[in-house]
Amino acid sequence: MLMHLFTLIWNKKKQHSLVILEMIISFMVLFAVFTLIVYYFTNYRKPMGFRYDNVLSVSISLPPGSTANKDSAAQVMQTLKRTVLALPEVKGMSYVSSNSPFSMNTSNNVINHNNQEVMAMYYTVDDAYPQVLGVKMLEGRWFNATDAHAKEPPVVINETLKENFFPGENAVGKILKMGDEPHRITGVVQTLKDKGDYVASKAGTYKRAGDDAPLWLSRILISYDLNTDAGFEGRLFKTFSSVLKTSSIEIEYLTKKRVSTNSVSLIPMILLLVVGGFLIINVALGIFGVLWYSVNKRRAEIGLRRAVGASGSGISGQIVSETLVLSTFALLIGVFFAIQFPLLNLFNMPSGVYITAIVLSVLFIYILVVICAFYPGRQAAQIYPAVALHED
Amino acid sequence: MIHLQNIEKVYRTDTVETQALNAINLEVAKGEFLSIMGPSGCGKSTLLNIMGLLDEPTSGSIRIADSTADRLSDKQLAHFRNRTIGFIFQSYHLINDLRVLDNVELPLLYRKSTAKERKELALEALEKVGLSNRTKHFPTQLSGGQKQRVAIARAIVGKPNIILADEPTGNLDSAMGNDVMDILVRLNKDEGTTIVMVTHDENMARKTHRLVRLFDGSQVQ
Repeated sequence: MLMHLFTLIWNKKKQHSLVILEMIISFMVLFAVFTLIVYYFTNYRKPMGFRYDNVLSVSISLPPGSTANKDSAAQVMQTLKRTVLALPEVKGMSYVSSNSPFSMNTSNNVINHNNQEVMAMYYTVDDAYPQVLGVKMLEGRWFNATDAHAKEPPVVINETLKENFFPGENAVGKILKMGDEPHRITGVVQTLKDKGDYVASKAGTYKRAGDDAPLWLSRILISYDLNTDAGFEGRLFKTFSSVLKTSSIEIEYLTKKRVSTNSVSLIPMILLLVVGGFLIINVALGIFGVLWYSVNKRRAEIGLRRAVGASGSGISGQIVSETLVLSTFALLIGVFFAIQFPLLNLFNMPSGVYITAIVLSVLFIYILVVICAFYPGRQAAQIYPAVALHED
Repeated sequence: MIHLQNIEKVYRTDTVETQALNAINLEVAKGEFLSIMGPSGCGKSTLLNIMGLLDEPTSGSIRIADSTADRLSDKQLAHFRNRTIGFIFQSYHLINDLRVLDNVELPLLYRKSTAKERKELALEALEKVGLSNRTKHFPTQLSGGQKQRVAIARAIVGKPNIILADEPTGNLDSAMGNDVMDILVRLNKDEGTTIVMVTHDENMARKTHRLVRLFDGSQVQ
């Protein structure tokens, strides 16, 4: 029977060409939607790599010329750190570059090792960074004051970069060329999902901020006791204002920044879902309409099939099966195009994401056509053969 | 072979009741070639549909090939039609999107058989109607007479005991009609197939063993 249905659909391929085209387009849109969903979900399931629920991000912009006298400016920043850490609610404070967690800023550069190049994120942070964010060291240690005068400046790399350069081996003590300058790896840290829950973690390096760093590192991360009262933010602002009298200060919760960063990631997916949803509704109505029309046009054929031995349920099953065969033609073409994405490594996404998206799209299309074919199939089963055979 | 006892068929709508068949008692013997005649709307096709288990009588009983057709489920009826009855229609009812061979194989798709068996039986049936050289043609590439011969091949491919033909020569000119009629006569004579044929043509009816006439749903001869 399956071969018979294949033959029937194949012989009617010209009549079905528009439906097949519609299914191919829907498949490709679904493939895009599922690729994004699978990609986001895969990223979402990965550990965050740091704590953000008890961390504040403070942005400061010093007035122009205020750092002209470096010694005096450095003293101000040290005073600031001391004063802030003196607050009973504060547990830690770290000066970081502007590409801090959940910010829109990025900084990257090419890293070299044994003639292999990797584009990696550059972070400049101070020694307190792992304590403030609770990051997990996988190998070695975070840099500290003892590394200040090391022959090669210290660097901590994340797990993703380690997998690129040193898979299956210890990375601590190895030399990386960052620009032209060699750096010695002191530790490997778990990769931080600092661009939000849905964005893939990239290879990254953490350079040690020198003593003058607070003058140009405009971002401060502060970890605090979660049991603090609502007035803490105000007290912190006053503390900053009292030290940095003419600077502008902005205090944000990392939890809130995380939500807004995630929203930015989710907007394209939501848009694609809306577009895809409308398309799927259109396709579903299209298939439904075509099948209904087809059943009404084929009443005599259905009557004949009943006469030569088909039962009502057999006719219903045939309509559903025909639709499945028709969608198989469309899916074969669609899968041919979709499979090019992992084969050609387009958009640098893991093959598994594409393969899962293809499987989900195929299943979705099959389920959709079965649902769309169900009612016309039932209608076909109810055609009275004695009447249908005398309508022509 | 076919026993109809006190068959009545009434079509009812909200406002109208139409008596299509009235107290029909008919026996068709095994190997008989029976023709049914009567004016349009007298119930010939309704009677044929009831004999073919495509329609149910309002009252009365039907026994076909020693089986009582009452109270058979939809699946059992379908199985019974597939094994016992072959149908030929005035307008052929060939599927235009299938080649001749595929059209003839159609009844065999609803029983357990391999593709090879189906092909062999279909070729054998086409050979009997003289169309073994048209297996790859589509119905639209055939003449009316050829189409009806394909329909006959489809009716006999499953080797049914009974063939029910509803005006098989109605759409054909006399030469083609005679060809088709010759095939039916030969099937009846050589293979002992029981045939019941509805026709408007007295000449065709004369070639059968017995003639039944209907008028306003009642048997008058």
